[in-house]
Amino acid sequence: MSGFFQVPWSDYRPDLTAALGRTVSYTVVSFAGAVVLGLAVALLRLSRVWPARALAAVYTEVFKNVPLLAIIFLSYFGLASAGIRLDVFTAGCLSLVVFYAAYLSEIFRSAISGVHAGQTEAGEALGLGRAGIFGHVVLPQAVRLALAGTNTMLVDLLKSTSLLVTISAAELMSEGRLITSATFRALEVYLVISAVYFVLCYPLSQLLLLLERKVRAGVPLSPWRRRRIRAARALLAAEPAAGPGAGTDRKEAAV
Amino acid sequence: MTEPATTTAGTRTTSPSPADAVVRIRGLRKAFDGRTVLDDVNLEVARGSIVSVIGQSGGGKTTLMRCVNLLESPDAGTVEVAGEVVHQDGRRVCRDLPRLRRTVGMVFQRFNLFPHLTAVENVVLAQRTAGVPEQEALERAVTLLRRVGVAHRALAQPEQLSGGEQQRVAIARALALRPEVLLFDEPTSSLDPEATREVLSVMRELAADGMTMLLVTHELPFAREVSDHVVFVDRGRIVEAGSPRDVLDNPAQARTREFLAAYGSAS
Ligand SMILES: Nc1ncnc2c1ncn2[C@@H]1O[C@H](COP(=O)(O)OP(=O)(O)O)[C@@H](O)[C@H]1O
Ligand SMILES: [Mg+2]
Repeated sequence: MSGFFQVPWSDYRPDLTAALGRTVSYTVVSFAGAVVLGLAVALLRLSRVWPARALAAVYTEVFKNVPLLAIIFLSYFGLASAGIRLDVFTAGCLSLVVFYAAYLSEIFRSAISGVHAGQTEAGEALGLGRAGIFGHVVLPQAVRLALAGTNTMLVDLLKSTSLLVTISAAELMSEGRLITSATFRALEVYLVISAVYFVLCYPLSQLLLLLERKVRAGVPLSPWRRRRIRAARALLAAEPAAGPGAGTDRKEAAV
Repeated sequence: MTEPATTTAGTRTTSPSPADAVVRIRGLRKAFDGRTVLDDVNLEVARGSIVSVIGQSGGGKTTLMRCVNLLESPDAGTVEVAGEVVHQDGRRVCRDLPRLRRTVGMVFQRFNLFPHLTAVENVVLAQRTAGVPEQEALERAVTLLRRVGVAHRALAQPEQLSGGEQQRVAIARALALRPEVLLFDEPTSSLDPEATREVLSVMRELAADGMTMLLVTHELPFAREVSDHVVFVDRGRIVEAGSPRDVLDNPAQARTREFLAAYGSAS
């Protein structure tokens, strides 16, 4: 087996590290953009104004039914030929954003409409206001519903960054191609590159599964919720004003 | 004998002046898709009094409750809450809807607790958005949970709670903003007898504390026990209104008698 690894990997370590960093950058930037755009499209699709709904529907259907590679070529080569020159990073991220936003918008839309109508009503009855209801009642529950699908998309997006090899984006796959053309060791190189993707994706998806489980179990993840629950626990541990006579005080304070 | 139907529920009380009505509804009409579900409804809930609405399913009881905090917009008539006209002739007059809804607490048949928050957070949330400082809101939430007897479950998620516990948390949540009136829409209809007893006992305590309540219920013995007024609604109209003794024990209207017979109200 010692004969199998003939590529001088230690020489390539700095380049590979840089390529790995670029893959991660593409993933993080594109995913953040896709979540924002996907949420906007989902909200448009749930809008009461029909042109907004139609626009969002057209967007979703178009980008769900065109291959990602075609979108990458369009945004890098296509736009350039029309005089709009995007650098590789911008074109790459743009492609991933518009493509994944279409899928995410579907996930977000069904999650938002999956929140029971009684929840909005309870929020209204408590005088929360539109923004309060969306931010405190609908969105947190929609996030729970959307989490599994969204996580799948994140891992999928990470793997799809490899398609950017076609515009020489200098990420992992491109680096693999460079090493191959220098060493002519395609099997070895692409096995190693695949292993790097695996080492990146597997722990990520496991971590996201763990997150899903925690969120489903209602574990407070945000620091302000934790602080509130800690404070509540302290109050609960303290004796209630005490004594039967204090009962009336409490009631007075309560009404 | 259609007279009692249009008489406001408050007119038979001995003490409170009409000015002291927390809820006053006059000539209310509401239709869904052209089908009238409430017609010429008049109702008053005097401060500190308890008004129970009874009647068959589909009669418009829920819609009537939802017209008080304007979850539904009436098509005609006047809705007055805490001395302020909030809806008139099919137009919303009240500009600050959230403020109106903080004046009116509501408890739903299906609890509608926020499932992503613990019990105590459910009681805190609306207080915070209403501007109550964090510590004060928490203290009040804990006090209220103690009062309804679920403080030991304060850090549980709603799905971990029994139906009776959930509804008691929902009552605490509705009380958190110190509403002037509480609306209960069949609060025990999705509960087993044991949980029903728990919730009714909490409501009994609220009644004893002088809370103003408007309540839809099928628990006729409970309605008889706590109500100052009972209103029988049938097919969108108030058929009969008066003291529990009058409406439940000596109903003047044939429709009321039929309803009571069907619900087998003993005694
Ligand atoms: N949002 C709505 N849209 C259309 N019809 C409705 C709506 N809400 C209630 N209704 C109808 O109005 C009538 C009264 O309903 P409701 O007020 O829920 O009665 P109750 O609470 O007495 O059972 C029913 O026929 C019901 O189907
Ligand atoms: Mg109902």
